[in-house]
Amino acid sequence: MFSMSRNSSAEHAADSSDGAAATAVAGVSASEGPFPSLPSPAIYAAGLSKRFGETVAVKSLSLTVQRGEVFGFLGPNGAGKTTVVKLLLGLVRPSGGQVMVLGAPAGDREMRKRIGYLPELFRYQALLTAAEVLRLHCRLLRLARSSWEEQTRRSLETVGLLDRGDDRVGTFSKGMQQRLGLGVALLGDPMLVVLDEPTSALDPVGRRDVRAIIGGLRERGATVFLNTHLLAEAEQVCDRVAVIDKGTAVATGTLAELLGRQTRVRLKVGGLGESWWSRLGRFGRWHRQQEWAVVDGIDASQIADLVDEVVKLGGRVEAVIPEHQSLETRFLELLSDR
Amino acid sequence: MNLTLAIAGLTVKEAVRRRLLLAFVAITVAIVGLSAWGFDRLTHSSSITSGERTLAVPDALILFMFMFSFVVALSASAIASPSISSEIESGVLMTVVTRPVRRSQVLLGKWLGLAALLAGYAGVVCALEFAVVDWVSGFLPPNPAAVTVYLFAEGALLLTLALLLSTRMPVIAAGVIGVAVFGAGWLAGVVGTLGTAFGISALRTVGQAGRLLIPTDGLWHGAIYYLQPSALTSGSLTEAGAGPFYAQAAPSWPYLLWVACWFLIVLTAGLVSFERREM
Repeated sequence: MFSMSRNSSAEHAADSSDGAAATAVAGVSASEGPFPSLPSPAIYAAGLSKRFGETVAVKSLSLTVQRGEVFGFLGPNGAGKTTVVKLLLGLVRPSGGQVMVLGAPAGDREMRKRIGYLPELFRYQALLTAAEVLRLHCRLLRLARSSWEEQTRRSLETVGLLDRGDDRVGTFSKGMQQRLGLGVALLGDPMLVVLDEPTSALDPVGRRDVRAIIGGLRERGATVFLNTHLLAEAEQVCDRVAVIDKGTAVATGTLAELLGRQTRVRLKVGGLGESWWSRLGRFGRWHRQQEWAVVDGIDASQIADLVDEVVKLGGRVEAVIPEHQSLETRFLELLSDR
Repeated sequence: MNLTLAIAGLTVKEAVRRRLLLAFVAITVAIVGLSAWGFDRLTHSSSITSGERTLAVPDALILFMFMFSFVVALSASAIASPSISSEIESGVLMTVVTRPVRRSQVLLGKWLGLAALLAGYAGVVCALEFAVVDWVSGFLPPNPAAVTVYLFAEGALLLTLALLLSTRMPVIAAGVIGVAVFGAGWLAGVVGTLGTAFGISALRTVGQAGRLLIPTDGLWHGAIYYLQPSALTSGSLTEAGAGPFYAQAAPSWPYLLWVACWFLIVLTAGLVSFERREM
């Protein structure tokens, strides 16, 4: 099973006593860490747990999301993803552990000004127009009144609703309401945008637009926490991902780390007869598939060496096809390991 | 305060667009029109004496106002009970409470918006009804403003209670409990009156306890007192002898102080409950 990567100071802090970790993180300011060049993580959770009665929704979850990252939070239905999102936003209180967002305790009122949130269950005031909903959120964000019109126009334009700004939300399709929700989440140029299943009601065009919006957020240095069960979506936009199952993270890392450097290579070799690979067992596990010789578990950096060795054996290499594991395959593998 | 007013404004705007005010206006005009016809018949009937008329017109007005107080109470419960719970269930509140706004500002804003609607309704109803009765029969209650305030206060208490219930209960449960509490309060008042009339101390105690636990009936009796002609309130008629639609005295200051405390306790409970509510 892929183990959680532990490459951040905050996660190392979590390995020490809880109190020490809390002190280390609580001392980090909202915008800057103890050293000006080391900002506090966008999200830091250590030993986070949440119980609803007898049901354990989140169990000793630890993760760190650095600023500027597009972080994918993946898991099957009922894995606890939305509960984690609610813990990050202070909508529910943790039963144990700690969680810091942008250097402040989760749910901190001032910090909420820097967070945009698109909930999984997106509903907005049906009797207001889209522009009125956005202006309401400008007001709740305490933005300068002079900026409301520009913020509203920009949001509507970004999510493709500029021509529907004066229409009541109640007349919108689910997809349009989700677009509006995304526009609401983008108001005030937030430092952290939490998107909970942001494309669940969107058509392919809408999904492409969301990817473009996430790309735009990345370009301006915002952190994106993308909660999704659509693996292709995560594969296309995320810098790092965590896979959660039964309330706990089963893997965290970049996609390359998560998928592993190990891969499968198919070779079509002439001139060597049967079972010629018995002398090349060090590269991985070999077997035959029709005319192909297949080696599993080979390190990607060793493919060139393998070809050299085949040539040295007198083989004629007719084809070499490396096959990377898909995120979906890896995801299913991770869950089946449990 | 600014954000509280923003939520209050939103609450009023949504009520207006939901055509709630239109429904209020339609009901009010219909009932006031009906009462104009009824008071005209009563005033100009040759089958009753002028002395009987002096008593009958205020009595009829009290009955009409009782109906309006019921509408105010029912409306307060109906408009407040969905305001938190249904918005949590639908998800509308998720994006509001994750903004840099206190939950207390959200709840107070909703209270303020709904209370403004109730106050407007109570004001319009009382002004229209009193004007019509005065025009048709020549009777005007001695203190119309006090009646309006008591009617509004009665609704405001139920509004506050329904908001508290709405922070924890589904819409229908909160609404039904709000109305049931109003009914129980009124019934406790009647039981207390019967206890006084027949000298049954247990029933009298139930009535007194009821007016403390659910002060809506106590406030309704404040409205009754200011609806009665001054000749009646200064007379020797006792409350026990005149029934549940008569008030011998205005609510005392200690009682009004208790009502204010009751309001603050319930409102604070609502604020704490909403603050601690997980979504």
